[in-house]
This record gives sequence, structure tokens and C-alpha cells, in this order.
Amino acid sequence: MNATTIAIDKLTKRYGAHEVVSNVTLAVEEGSICGLLGPNGAGKSTTFKCLLGLARPTSGSVAVGGAPLAPESFEWLAYVPEKSALYERFTVGQHLEIQRRSRRRYDAARAAELLALFKLDAAKKAGKLSKGQRTALMLVLALSFRPSVLVLDEPSSGLDPIYQRVVLDLIIEAAAGGATVLFSSHQIGQVERAADRVAILKNGRLVLDREVDALKSSEKVVEAIFDGAVPEANGLAGDARIRRLERSGRILRAYVSAESEDVARRIQALGPRSLTVLDLNLEEIFLNAVGAENAPLPGGQ
Amino acid sequence: MPAIFTVDPRSGVPLYLQLIEQVKRAVALGTLEPGEQLPTVKALALDLTINPNTVARVYRELERDGVIETSPGRGSFVRAGSAGGSARRAVEDLARGALDDAVREAKSLGLERDAVSGLFEDALARWFPAEDHR
Repeated sequence: MNATTIAIDKLTKRYGAHEVVSNVTLAVEEGSICGLLGPNGAGKSTTFKCLLGLARPTSGSVAVGGAPLAPESFEWLAYVPEKSALYERFTVGQHLEIQRRSRRRYDAARAAELLALFKLDAAKKAGKLSKGQRTALMLVLALSFRPSVLVLDEPSSGLDPIYQRVVLDLIIEAAAGGATVLFSSHQIGQVERAADRVAILKNGRLVLDREVDALKSSEKVVEAIFDGAVPEANGLAGDARIRRLERSGRILRAYVSAESEDVARRIQALGPRSLTVLDLNLEEIFLNAVGAENAPLPGGQ
Repeated sequence: MPAIFTVDPRSGVPLYLQLIEQVKRAVALGTLEPGEQLPTVKALALDLTINPNTVARVYRELERDGVIETSPGRGSFVRAGSAGGSARRAVEDLARGALDDAVREAKSLGLERDAVSGLFEDALARWFPAEDHR
């Protein structure tokens, strides 16, 4: 089995009385890409800051590469924050020069390749860059030393769809080369493509953490249409595999988190006219996970 | 190399299943020939813009199912004879699933067995004209 490269253990972060991150445990294995989803204010950026040592956990611990964060960690660990941190009066080229001097693993050829990929002008001052170009420069700086761990907070904010795809390609390329990636995004489609694992935060709590494919295999909707009124079937409400039941007219929908075929057989026994098991994509699974109050965790955590 | 596979990441069907099905279908149809080399995990992940671990899993399962063989340092190849084996079964499974869906749908629309059977015969006659019939 692969080693755990990013380990967040029972992390809690409070600012005053406000608990922003509550008891979050998350592990990302070597070579894996984990996508972190969550509504605004769910605690994604704070989780990243604690992971990077930019905020002190109230309790719990973080480890990267099997050890607590140390100054040497930044030789192979790259972080792109949500808000780009650049020297406004320095040019793009000067930013790379700083990187060259401070990063032992800096790769000038790679940096030049990345600049060309994002069509960034080395002579341009950071203060003159557009929002998307600033994001691009942060990514160029982060990837210029071929890091083995990448932590990216909204890595494509401000970028158009074409460059968003370039960012995905870079993430996939890094992981194919053995790097471990944790990235947050509001674009569920990006996570659905690039990530093998997805974690969902809501109000500071981890409400879901699973392999994307395993999630899609188990999260289903069983839809039954009856000739008359939908039978009461009280037993279904207590079925732990059913997250939620919806009744509308002659239609019964069960949102199922596991063993959908078995649940479908149970509903078939109620004698519907038709019964269909529907797949859910990540967006639907996400909305179910963050929308429904106190929705049970799939995977039984 | 032009893309030989297409997957839909936005579908609710797990990506690895989509890709396994695509490869088996390509082998059964002869689009991928025995002995033909498959792209590397990295190349296919980048080509489809999907997760490399997902592609690696697909190759592992295809190897386990006897559809491809991987030799270290050389790459992955379509196995000789695989078109008659599990790839053929996979295509039959696909066809069975499609027919199953059609029959279930017809039933849920309230049709009786005889009516469904009649429609099925009509469809057979349309797609397999009389001269093919023995």
C-alpha cells in the first residue's frame, strides 16, 4: 500500500469563540490527488493554513511526508494560497529569480516551459497582472521546483476554461510523476476529473471522504412509480443505507448510500409499476452531502 | 495518437468502469488488435484528463481479466486471443444490459409480455433483414 503523505489528524481551529474547523481527519496517500470541496466558509482555506503552518491548530495535528512540518519541508512542498501573495513591484522574472535563489530544486527549464504555457511575460510587473495571470504566476512558481507535494487552494480562480484545463493537466502530470496533490475547488467538474479521492467540508466538519469511483458506485437513487398512492412502508425510514426518502404524488425516491441493489429489491417488494436505479454524479452527491442537514455519512464513518 | 477512448467524468458511472468497458469494446470490435500497445498510464491520463491512479487501476483490472498483458519496462499490450474471451463477454454483457433496460422500460409503461415480444420481433426484423434469417 502507498504511504500516507498528507495526514491531518483530529484538526480543530478556533478563532475566539468561532470554531472554523472541527475535528477534521484526512489522509492523502502518495501519488494521489484529493479534491477538497465545500461551500464558502466551510473551513477549506483554514485547513490548508493549518496544514502549511500558517495557522496554529487549536488541537489536533498535521504531518506532511510522514513528519511534522519543518523548514526543510518546503524544499519539496509547494503551496498556492487562495489569495495570490506576490511582490507587486517585482516583475514575473524577478519572482522566478527569487525562487531560483531560495529553492534548491529549482528547474530553470521547467520554469521557462511553464511561463510559455501560461503566456506570461517575464518583464511584466506583478501589480500589472490580471487576476488569472496572478493565479498562473503562483502556479508557475509552485511548479518550478518540481515539488513532490502540492497543496493548492482554488488553483484555477480567475482562469478561463482553457487555462483551467491546463491547470488540471499540470496536476495530473505531477501526480503521474509520483507527486501527491491536495486541492480545493468550487468547480466540482475539476475534482470529478482529476481527483481519485474527494473530501467534503461543511461548517468546518468533514461530511464525506472517499474515493470518487467508490462513491459513484454506492450513491444511487432508487425511483419507484406506483399505480396508486405510495405505500407507507415505515420500515424504509429506519434503513441505515437510505439517506433520505422523497415522496411526491405516486413517486417514491430513496437516496441510497450503499447496497442500492438490495434496497431496490426491498422497494420492489412494495409492488411499484416501475422501478429504476439512477446514478448520481459528483455534483448531485455534493449537493446531497452539504444540503441535507445531518445527512448520514456514506461509508459509515 | 488520436484518442481511442472517450469517457464522461460527469456521469454517475465510475470512471474506471467506463474505461474498462471502452477498452473491452475496442478489443472485441478489433479497433485494438492483439499485440497492439496501449498508451502508458501517464499518457492516457493526460490524454483523457483524468486521474492517473484511475487509469492504473483500469490496467490492473484488464490484466487480471486477461485482456491485456504488461511487461515491466516495455508497456501494456492487448493479449493475443483476448478478443474471443473476456472482451467478447464484456460486449455481450453490454448488449444484455441494453436489452434489459429496454424490456424493463416497456414493462413499466404498462405493456404486457406479448406486446413487448411483438415489439422485439419488429425490431429484430428491422435490424436483421429477412435474408440473414435461418
